[in-house]
Amino acid sequence: MFRIDRRLFEHFDMVLLLLIFLVCIMAFFNLYSASFPNSGFGMPPYIRQAYFFLIGFAAFVFVVSFDYQELHSWNYPFYGLIILLLIIALVAGDSAGGAQRWINLGFFKLQPSEPAKLMLVVTLASYYSRKEINDGYAIKDLVIPVALTGIPFMLILLEPDLGTALMLGIIFVSMTVFVKLKMSTYGIMGGLAFAAGLLAWEKLLKPYQKQRIQTFLDPDQDPMGHGYQILQSKIAVGSGGKFGKGYLEGTQGHLHFLPERHTDFAFSVWGEEWGFAGSVIFIGTYFLLLFWGLNVAMYAKDRFGVLLAYGVVMLIFWQAVINLFMIMGFLPVVGIPLPLVSYGGSSLLTTMLGLGLLMNVRMRRFQAAMPRD
Amino acid sequence: MKSALKDIEDITERDEGALDLLKKRLLWAAGLVILFLVIIILRLWFLQISNGEEYEKRAYGNRVRIRQLNPPRGHILDRNNREMVTNRPSFNVALIQEDSEDLGNVLKRIAPVLDMDVAELWEKIRQASDTPRYLPVLLKEDIDWQTLAYLENHNHEFSGIRTEVQPVRVYHYEDLAANIIGYLGSISKQELETADKAIYRGGDIIGKKGLEKLREADLRGEKGHSYSEVDAKGFEQQLLKTVEPLPGRQIRLTLDVDLQQIAESYMTAGEKSGAVVAMEVKTGRLLVAVSAPTIHINDFVGGISTEKWQALLDNPKHPLINKVVQASYPPGSTYKMVTALAGLAKGVIDNDTVFYCPGHYTFGNRRYRCWKHSGHGPVNLLKAIGESCDVYFYQVGQKVGVDGLAEYAEKLGLGKKTGIEMEYEKSGLAPTKKWKEKYRNAKWQDGETLSVAIGQGFNLVTPLQMCSMTATLANGGKLYRPQLVEQVIDSEGRIIEAFSPELVSEITGLDQYFNSIKRGMEEVIQGKRGTARSVAIEGLRIAGKTGTAQVVKVAQYRGLKEEDIPYKYRDHGWFTCYAPAEDPEIAVTVLVEHGLHGGSGAGPIAKAVLNQYFSGRLKQVVVE
Repeated sequence: MFRIDRRLFEHFDMVLLLLIFLVCIMAFFNLYSASFPNSGFGMPPYIRQAYFFLIGFAAFVFVVSFDYQELHSWNYPFYGLIILLLIIALVAGDSAGGAQRWINLGFFKLQPSEPAKLMLVVTLASYYSRKEINDGYAIKDLVIPVALTGIPFMLILLEPDLGTALMLGIIFVSMTVFVKLKMSTYGIMGGLAFAAGLLAWEKLLKPYQKQRIQTFLDPDQDPMGHGYQILQSKIAVGSGGKFGKGYLEGTQGHLHFLPERHTDFAFSVWGEEWGFAGSVIFIGTYFLLLFWGLNVAMYAKDRFGVLLAYGVVMLIFWQAVINLFMIMGFLPVVGIPLPLVSYGGSSLLTTMLGLGLLMNVRMRRFQAAMPRD
Repeated sequence: MKSALKDIEDITERDEGALDLLKKRLLWAAGLVILFLVIIILRLWFLQISNGEEYEKRAYGNRVRIRQLNPPRGHILDRNNREMVTNRPSFNVALIQEDSEDLGNVLKRIAPVLDMDVAELWEKIRQASDTPRYLPVLLKEDIDWQTLAYLENHNHEFSGIRTEVQPVRVYHYEDLAANIIGYLGSISKQELETADKAIYRGGDIIGKKGLEKLREADLRGEKGHSYSEVDAKGFEQQLLKTVEPLPGRQIRLTLDVDLQQIAESYMTAGEKSGAVVAMEVKTGRLLVAVSAPTIHINDFVGGISTEKWQALLDNPKHPLINKVVQASYPPGSTYKMVTALAGLAKGVIDNDTVFYCPGHYTFGNRRYRCWKHSGHGPVNLLKAIGESCDVYFYQVGQKVGVDGLAEYAEKLGLGKKTGIEMEYEKSGLAPTKKWKEKYRNAKWQDGETLSVAIGQGFNLVTPLQMCSMTATLANGGKLYRPQLVEQVIDSEGRIIEAFSPELVSEITGLDQYFNSIKRGMEEVIQGKRGTARSVAIEGLRIAGKTGTAQVVKVAQYRGLKEEDIPYKYRDHGWFTCYAPAEDPEIAVTVLVEHGLHGGSGAGPIAKAVLNQYFSGRLKQVVVE
């Protein structure tokens, strides 16, 4: 099972690792500022996040150690496990803010919807690589991928966690469009998505979810609610100006004007303290990591490797875009974290696992494909 | 090694085809990533560079609360540095709407603490709907120490609520000189519109009347500000900086509290309406300025109630009018000094000119009566002034003419404003032929000159003018502008303004005539038949003159005793004097509205003031 090859070490990608470390270090310092001054109760978030990073890095190493081809066989058992965890979260999970998302493990509250995102990437990559159709997938070919996406999608929607559920949809669309569909399939899928959207608005969305969307469309309607959060975030980022207010000097964050400032709005703190210059450096590094990920896909040795690397990049990319758009006032508050930057163990672990897959694909680009059986 | 690699490359090349097509689509993905990167960078540019300053201001406004620190208002002292008006801190409870979370609940919880209804609190907030959300809305003024302590200790329970210090006036002598000092009130909308926005804002307390208004600029001081950082819930995190308020300037008045108190107590004791004015003869410093009845100054603290205001308006004794300058009266016989001076100066009489008084004087086809119906017999100037013979002055006036009388009235300061620091001063009236033609549209009747000559015609004089005239006679013709402010001292003890006598005009070359008149005025008090013998103080030479100003000539009241005439038709009583006659220092004028004869109604008050003024210097103080 473990085919440790000398070339594995030769092909270990130092650039990828360096970029991951750079982003994580900036994120760590930012988290320190976002949770400063410490309330004095419990472990400060930045310390917890440091532990999670160590655990995440261990997971990263673990993922790198086996050939990603093994995932073809591990895929469905893991898929089943995640679905089970999602059901447990829904039935016996801890709730907060009207949503039931967490499984309390004592030392750590697991949010199974986070690994579910990565699980979907792996599952779809595995499915589309095994079922290779080069002249475009027809609608009947998508029944299984839709079902694979639909099950966790519905479970997460029931929590309810609209943002993460939509994230699964976006992963599905990103991966499916990437493997190429028939023209007719695009039309049918588009129509179905539209119908589902209408149905969801009428029947499925909870009032607070509708409220968020309405607030976004008309922020003045609710100046102290979600519109207020977005406004405070824009003020935080905007007031950073050219060079920022300086590390630990951001007033919007430290005086609690910023909501969720160490989780979803963590980048607002960075923008406020480091200004345009610092933001460009940070976003630049972050996107360089994404490009490097696409580069990994480009040089992957087989279809599964390409789809896996591409899927992981898209998973991080879309979360980052949605999070940054929310912070900069382009989107309503949707509860999507900025991977590697926002505080949260589940998200960090998931992202590190994903990056581990990226490294895995990278390191095995020159190996002969495993014979399929 | 190399060849092995080559082999693998060959294999992958052969495997391309479908995989290559897939990888080509990665370029689209890269394009997508670049597109979003550009959008994000542009958005950052828009927020941080294009609008950075705007957002910086908003961030500042978010976190910094500027609190106004009200300066203590300048103290008001009397000439001997006795504190008349000072301040004490009062604590007000205010609401900053912007900082308030869950206002309904906060009000519910704070209402019992303030001993108020929730509805009452909502009403205050509703009334202040024009106030910007970041400015305080006053909920309750002048809370006690216990309430203050409770609110300070529980401040985290009342989001958006804070206590503010507002210095309030303390009146050490209660209503003393209330009409002169005036009172404070909240700035009105109209006042705010014309006020300097850099200095005033809604809710400020400003001088509304009297010196408090006229000297507002000196008394108000400069506001300070404290800048404190607040968190999203409006709770203060730290004080960023404080600009301390600059206390207002102290004003030391020329008034003398003792004299003022004596004069006011006499007016109050007799429930009299009128004015008492005392002035330094050689400088124009005002020592006493009483308007009776007085307003009750504490009624105005925190705004006067409608009922009390209406009662003040309805009061027949008009407490709102400062009778020192805002009311003018016919001068009565006190005007005879003017007539005498005009007669002497115009050469129509001298000291020895004698007229015979049979008790009346016939002019035209009318008979003008002397107050003494039995007549004064032969009368020279000394006796005419001392016994106030009307017949003598009818004839002097007739010979001088009304315009000549007006000329000397004006030289003595009548008919024009004195320029004292009091509001709405009346100019009085020294009538001339022209005046009548212009304002009454009628020709001057010669008979009217006779009335003017004894102070009963169109002439009108304010008590302050009368006092100023008396001082001018006493000092031999120097008309000083009456002044009320001795010094203005800033908070660092620097003298900003100091009293200096201001000579308005001077009558020269008439010293001998002044002396004749002054001898006559001494006769009024010290003469055997003087009209104000009761004012005499042993050891003090006083010169003065009584006057009775007819209010109306109503036939049905003729011949009645004054006490039997309804109050509002009774004559006004004047008494004006100066002392010591040999070297005059102080002039005192008393007007008692509807106060019967000047000698009996007004005289005792002037006497009390003189007694107090000279108390340290008289060997024997004669008590009435």
